[in-house]
Amino acid sequence: MSAVLTYEALLSAAIAVAESRLSQGPEWLTALRTRALAIHKDLGIPTPKHEEWKYTPLRTVANTNWQPAEGGPALFEREFRAYTDSKIKIVLVNGRLDRNLSDIPATPGLTAMSLFDAIGSEPTISEFLGQVASVEEHTFAALNTALFEDGLYLHLKKGAMVEPVIEILHITSGAGQVIAPRILVVAEEGSVAQILEQYVSAEEAANLTIPVTEVVTHKHANIEHVRLQDESTENFHIALWETRQTGESEYRSYNVAFGAAIGRLDQNIMLDGRHITTRLDGVVVARGEQILDNHTKLDHAMPDCNSFEIYKQIIDDKASVVFNGKIFVHQDAQKTDAKQTNQALLLSPNATINSKPQLEIFADDVKCTHGATVGQIEPTFLFYMRSRGIPKAEAEAILVYAFAAEVLELISNDDLKKNLEARLFEKLGLS
Amino acid sequence: MLEIRNLHASVSEEGKEILKGIDLTIRPGEVHAIMGPNGSGKSTLANIIAGRDSYEITDGTITYLGEDLAEMEPEERAHKGVFLAFQYPVEIPGVSNTYFLRAAVNAKRVANGEAEIDALNFMKFIREKVKLLGLKDDLLQRSVNEGFSGGEKKRNEIFQMAVLEPSLCVMDETDSGLDIDALKTVADGVNALRSPERAFVVVTHYQRLLNYIVPDFVHILKDGKIVKSGDKSLALELEDKGYGWLEEELATSAN
Repeated sequence: MSAVLTYEALLSAAIAVAESRLSQGPEWLTALRTRALAIHKDLGIPTPKHEEWKYTPLRTVANTNWQPAEGGPALFEREFRAYTDSKIKIVLVNGRLDRNLSDIPATPGLTAMSLFDAIGSEPTISEFLGQVASVEEHTFAALNTALFEDGLYLHLKKGAMVEPVIEILHITSGAGQVIAPRILVVAEEGSVAQILEQYVSAEEAANLTIPVTEVVTHKHANIEHVRLQDESTENFHIALWETRQTGESEYRSYNVAFGAAIGRLDQNIMLDGRHITTRLDGVVVARGEQILDNHTKLDHAMPDCNSFEIYKQIIDDKASVVFNGKIFVHQDAQKTDAKQTNQALLLSPNATINSKPQLEIFADDVKCTHGATVGQIEPTFLFYMRSRGIPKAEAEAILVYAFAAEVLELISNDDLKKNLEARLFEKLGLS
Repeated sequence: MLEIRNLHASVSEEGKEILKGIDLTIRPGEVHAIMGPNGSGKSTLANIIAGRDSYEITDGTITYLGEDLAEMEPEERAHKGVFLAFQYPVEIPGVSNTYFLRAAVNAKRVANGEAEIDALNFMKFIREKVKLLGLKDDLLQRSVNEGFSGGEKKRNEIFQMAVLEPSLCVMDETDSGLDIDALKTVADGVNALRSPERAFVVVTHYQRLLNYIVPDFVHILKDGKIVKSGDKSLALELEDKGYGWLEEELATSAN
């Protein structure tokens, strides 16, 4: 068995579309797409022989002839949970900005527009689009780059203070399609905002969602970014989320992964400046036969930066979860303070966790710690609570909640926190 | 209130018999002390009353307020007024004492067909209990037992007892690991809760606690059986002469 699957059989319809798009748009975009498509063809679809994809079985993904994404309906039958009462609701359907479903009131300092339009009208976008995502290491991000048709461009002006949470809802609709949502966030100097990026399915169906989100935070920007992946448990979701921070910015990111049959996220943050603060946290809940794989990478390139990472993973039934946490501390990054914790709570004897902290430190004056634990609900905890009158199911719910709360409590918006907790209970069948 | 007849019990996994025929009757308002050397089965007895499933009842009966206690889940026992103060209280990070106790109180109320108590009234109610026991308010916001000293954990057990207002309070070596001040606080708490409707079973290795919580009856447990019962003077005699004396006593009376 080789490390990649034969390319020809896969995604051929999507590739044809990507090839037809190469000549569209400005020259820089053509160059970007041409390179990305070549990378994708070269990398192919990895097999479990590939170290970075060992626990993400892609055979079904590889053996399905995914069709290019089509537009969704004008209205959806199901309702989508509102996580905040924010006035800013941006809806993308199968990767395209839906102007009718979106509500983007004029907000001082904020530009939120279709990526397609932005490519035409915003000359500076070429400095960032495709410049943050490491497509050479991620075949699906490369495909996204070649294929994306539209997406969202969020720009925060210098000093912009956006009060309401910027809610972005990605809806996948239909079946058998490869969907390539693309987001670019540029936070200029001193801007402040909270972003909720949510992925949901309109129907219980299998699509292949391959989102790429790129974020750039400039000096003194302060951005909180929650990503909720709550797609159908029949769906395949393989994403790249990459952030580049420059001097003295603060970026707090929370990955909440509940959905997909196979859900894979690579989240990379480059700390490319001094006095940067970074949070990279995760709450993962996998049930049934879900496989949720999260690879995180923190690159400490410069001195005097802090990064904190807490991953909480709850695994039930026959589900399996993967955590791979890389922290690179480069030679120049003296006085780095990096702390990584990853904890798994197994609720069933058939649940699986594969955990791999990976710290590579090339500077000598740094503080780097990591800890990984795997546990179950302690029978003594349960008995203690039951002896106080709390019924077994409720006691379990409280213990699971307490486990996840350490991360969820960090989210600054109270409505968002409360609704994520409610969704967590629902996901666990405990509500 | 509690009738224990010919109770035999063993450890579920190993099958080793620990209790070998216990008979005990407890009426409302009474305080019973259960004393005995290590391994005599006193903690087992306390845990069986609360329903810990690591023990199996192999023979005999436990009847509480006319019902078969052995048939009830631990939470049902709590709803009917049984409380166990743990020898080793469990730390639950991330769950505040207030949240924990409100869940417990409301579970009990719902089970007994009463309406749940709202957050505001509950706060009022537990602040009164904090005052009654002379504890500090910050206890309420802290995670259940997390980072508590041994003494704080035991005080928290008594606080929970005060909040849940049980009818039968079983205390499993609540005095172990306490200095004299903590011991007095715990005993004062228990004494504040004594009432004609409420009974206590105080399991202890040492007589010391019984200076402060004065028992109506003292039972000495040895090798899974109650070998001697008496009033508070029995505890003093035991303290004075040690468990060795008991061996001799038993040997003499057997002859």
